[in-house]
Amino acid sequence: MTKPETILKAEDIHKSFGRLEVLKGISLEARNHDVISILGSSGSGKSTFLRCLNFLEIPTSGKVTVHGEEILVKNGKPQNVRHIEDIRSRLGMLFQQFNLWTHRTALENVMEGPVQVKREPKADARDRAEALLKRVGLEDRMHMYPSQLSGGQQQRVAIARALAMEPDAILFDEPTSALDPELVGEVLKVMQSLAAEGRTMIVVTHEMGFAREVSSEVVFLHEGRIAEQGPPDEMFTHPKTEVFERFVSKVK
Amino acid sequence: MNPLEILIEYWPRLLDGTLMTLKLTILGALIAGLVSPSLALIRVHAAPMAQAPLRLYVSFMRGTPILAQLFLIFYGSGQFRPTLEEWGLWTFFRDPFNCALLAFALNSTAYQTEILRGGIMGVPQGEIEAAKAIGMSRPKILRRVVFPHAYRIAWPALGNEVILLMKASALASVVTVFDVMGRTRQIFSRTFDFSVYLWAALVYLCITAAFVLLWRQAERRLSRHIHAPGMPRASAQPFKESQA
Repeated sequence: MTKPETILKAEDIHKSFGRLEVLKGISLEARNHDVISILGSSGSGKSTFLRCLNFLEIPTSGKVTVHGEEILVKNGKPQNVRHIEDIRSRLGMLFQQFNLWTHRTALENVMEGPVQVKREPKADARDRAEALLKRVGLEDRMHMYPSQLSGGQQQRVAIARALAMEPDAILFDEPTSALDPELVGEVLKVMQSLAAEGRTMIVVTHEMGFAREVSSEVVFLHEGRIAEQGPPDEMFTHPKTEVFERFVSKVK
Repeated sequence: MNPLEILIEYWPRLLDGTLMTLKLTILGALIAGLVSPSLALIRVHAAPMAQAPLRLYVSFMRGTPILAQLFLIFYGSGQFRPTLEEWGLWTFFRDPFNCALLAFALNSTAYQTEILRGGIMGVPQGEIEAAKAIGMSRPKILRRVVFPHAYRIAWPALGNEVILLMKASALASVVTVFDVMGRTRQIFSRTFDFSVYLWAALVYLCITAAFVLLWRQAERRLSRHIHAPGMPRASAQPFKESQA
């Protein structure tokens, strides 16, 4: 069997905030259909790393390649800035706080990317947005504003918004951390269905259940470095490092 | 003469003045409204040294009486007439209306810039990130996310500014522009009947009332996502900063 193609590759990502070095050289490769969970205690740099992948945070140095398009960063300066917007439009992103555009309805939120960034005709974008909202179970909430939706519903709109761009991969930045416990399930369910249909996903999360059962690979960050990495079953049953063992026992 | 007779005899002049007041106010506010967004962006994003001239301008406009600014332009331009003629600008400054309009536009630009700056700083950062993450270009983010929020936040304060400008436009009468106040003084000097001032006050009051009504309609449209029905107010939590 041939290896699936590489969708996203990050090489030796460093990031410092002032004198504080948060990421000390992290490399990660996501192949087609991979679901990679990034774990780590707070301050381990996992969110920062994820945000470096689509340049919401500009790395201090390193290289990010998305579908053959690469951006090299040296001394905090990306070499080809023009590609940044392009790479971003190929990577969907979900945020802890959903970050829906509050002055637009759910439907308008989902249509915004295709119409404004990809310049799709409005009618087409609307049709697809309606289908996507139906898919995340919000067909009866399409014309509501984010303020009229619960957290779980907002995050599902955000998922539809990311899907509307037909991304090569989707980045999740603790997508369920801001949700009430009873709303976590509905979002995880949608994420699980995305994984099942073979989407490439990189997920920063605290949901051990998701990391264990849904992801194909787990990456554990500790103090700005990858401390342990591998298939979830193996890692959770036989932790190789002491830090990961401690982490697992703590979150259980 | 009783007040009604004054009105019956002089209403065409008052109407003429009203149109002039409206013209001055609307043009002044509009010019300021066109210039201030870029200046506000500079105030928010530019390096402190780069925006020093802008801050100086704003401080001057907000720190000196608008009457002084008007005189500076109207009488000041007379002092520099030879230079202005050389540059072909004298035809502009010769007309007191132009001088008044310039003074009001400059003054209002300073205020509107600061008001909008506040609005821009109140835009939820996460929504800007979401726009970046989807691959939007900077100009598009400004147009689709930043300014819709900034104007909603700044709207009530901007309305205030326009009303203040409308009333300040009465100062134009001092440099022989025949706005409501100019016409009123003219009529008074003929009739020595102070009731014409009451009519003038009524005109200003009506303009303001009509304006407030219009402005409130627009405000409702701008913030319809906050007062949308079907959800308790408390759930609109990301919007605590909106100034009602």
